[in-house]
Amino acid sequence: MTSAKKTRRFALPSHLTGPLLILIIAMIYGSLGSEYFLDPASIIFNTGRYIEIGLLALALTFVIINGDIDLSVASILAASAAVMAKLFAAGTPILWCALAAVFTGFILGMINGLIVIKFGLPSLVVTLATLALYRGLTQVLLEDSVVADYPESFVGFDQRLVIGGYPGFPAPLAVFIVASIIFYFILRKANYGLLNVMTGSNASSTKFSGINVNSVRLSAFALSGLVSGICAVMITSRLGSTISNVGLGLELLAITVVVLGGTDIFGGRGTISGTVVALLAIMAVRESLVIQDINGQVQDGAIGLLLILTVLVPRIRSAIVDNRNRKKRFNEAQSQIANH
Amino acid sequence: MAKNSISGVSVLLKKREFGIFIFIVLLLVIFGSLEPRFFRADNLNAILSSVGILMVVGAGQTLVIVTRNIDLSVGSTLGFSAMVMGMVARENPDFPLVGLILIALVAGGVCGLINGLLVSYGKIPSIIATLGTLAIFRGAVFLVSDNVQIDPNDVPQAVINLATTSPIRISWLLIFAIVSILLVHYISSKTLLGKRIYAIGSNPEGAVSRGLSFDRITILVFVSVGVLAGLGGVLYTARYATINPADVGRGLEFDVISAVVIGGTNIFGGSGTAFGTALGCILIGVLSNGLTVVGVSPFWKACATGLLILAAVAIDNFVRRKQEERFLLEIRNQRTAE
Repeated sequence: MTSAKKTRRFALPSHLTGPLLILIIAMIYGSLGSEYFLDPASIIFNTGRYIEIGLLALALTFVIINGDIDLSVASILAASAAVMAKLFAAGTPILWCALAAVFTGFILGMINGLIVIKFGLPSLVVTLATLALYRGLTQVLLEDSVVADYPESFVGFDQRLVIGGYPGFPAPLAVFIVASIIFYFILRKANYGLLNVMTGSNASSTKFSGINVNSVRLSAFALSGLVSGICAVMITSRLGSTISNVGLGLELLAITVVVLGGTDIFGGRGTISGTVVALLAIMAVRESLVIQDINGQVQDGAIGLLLILTVLVPRIRSAIVDNRNRKKRFNEAQSQIANH
Repeated sequence: MAKNSISGVSVLLKKREFGIFIFIVLLLVIFGSLEPRFFRADNLNAILSSVGILMVVGAGQTLVIVTRNIDLSVGSTLGFSAMVMGMVARENPDFPLVGLILIALVAGGVCGLINGLLVSYGKIPSIIATLGTLAIFRGAVFLVSDNVQIDPNDVPQAVINLATTSPIRISWLLIFAIVSILLVHYISSKTLLGKRIYAIGSNPEGAVSRGLSFDRITILVFVSVGVLAGLGGVLYTARYATINPADVGRGLEFDVISAVVIGGTNIFGGSGTAFGTALGCILIGVLSNGLTVVGVSPFWKACATGLLILAAVAIDNFVRRKQEERFLLEIRNQRTAE
């Protein structure tokens, strides 16, 4: 009896079992492909390409917990990168360019939020429109030019080490870890996180308890824009150049990460730990498929399949349990009738 | 007096299709006067062919959105069915045209069935299920084709003829498009099935408590959008004669959903018409072609589409609010009269 209680106390949170299972299977599969797959240095350096997705997913977790969605994150990223590139090409010091990119992201996120709130429109449609609009702005700004020649001091942020030596600890990973811890505390410990969850689970009753639901939703959109702006700076530093299709399609990956991490797409429920573990899982799946030399589109297909399975399997399991309970109750009732 | 003029305006505004129609005419006049080449037969043909593919898929997407769902996987479904059909045609050059079309329809229908089962019995929100299948079906295109594209000389002439030849003055491609729109219009406005689809969309709990099968209607709607996307695959092959695994139907979901939303279908379900969607498709086609012909940099195209969607939903929302206000006012007046 006590041992059962103990194991329950130490059992995994249910939203983490799916992603963790995927993570473990992918690591085994990857290490079958190459003995260097689990080499700490290779793992740590592979994270570089996923940090932007991870940061976008962290901010999106808040938007989705609110019951909204932001499809435009990758386009905001592109537009911010374009503003940065244009300013740099005009001779602005790189620090100001980077700040302008972050600010642009913030403003574009605010625009999303304001349209959603002021006009009372569904965020799915609004951000579908701004997905096109912001990508369009990027294309108008950059046309088919490539902006490169960023200063040496700016390029290669992902190669910079916070802790040197073997296996090393690259700067983007540090940024991501710090960001996850901050977001974790905001969601779990701060008032603001509670407001998000309340808004997402029942917006009208939250409104009637005297909370400005609209400003909570607006702030989540602004946050998502701000983070997209920061990601624009990071991706420019990593790639060393800017073209108009930068970050194309990242929004789908970021949303997949959030949903895989157990955040309810209809709002009201979600965790930062889920998002982080889901990012690791997707990274492991991607890298293990790369090592097995599987086509990129098929990799995306595999991730799509995992997304569906992580939502579907718990549903099937609970349906089976429900069915069994119902049968048990039915049998009990019948035996009671028979006893009478 | 004042009341009369207000109701007159709102009657016109209520005819959502009329507003889009006026806007299309306006665009035609602007583009035509800026660049007479816009009205040349080959240009109009190019617009109509791309609009036709959009219309076929849009007709199905309208039904899906009416039932409060969304299908993000239409582009991949179109690509998958086009690829399956193309591969059959490459292996058997003498395969009859009707057989090829049927294969594409079945392939699309199977994709739709998978979506429908996930959404109905799997109880997965459609946006997540189809986000997943968007990637899965695209992966399937690569798996079946082994990343080899279908070249124009492997596509049978009979298929290509669908886009170029015509029994009457318009091509087969457009006939398919118009028939799809008319069919969806007929089903949604004249049949019991259509009433059920709209009932599920406007009040799912109510509809189910009146004895409608939510699961069956959801599956049916997804299968029909899949079949129509399969037909879209045939038309795509007819128009472009090349099936590249990475390009075929990529990003189509965005244009299709834009057209449906611009056409006045409520994204929260329950209302929307096939004719509205058809006009939305024409609007998108005219706009993107017109901008190019007039000489506006093609880089403005995405901006224009984005603004168009925003304007469409904002106007729609404004009209709906006004109607609600008027409705409340009428009730209040009645109460005070009593």
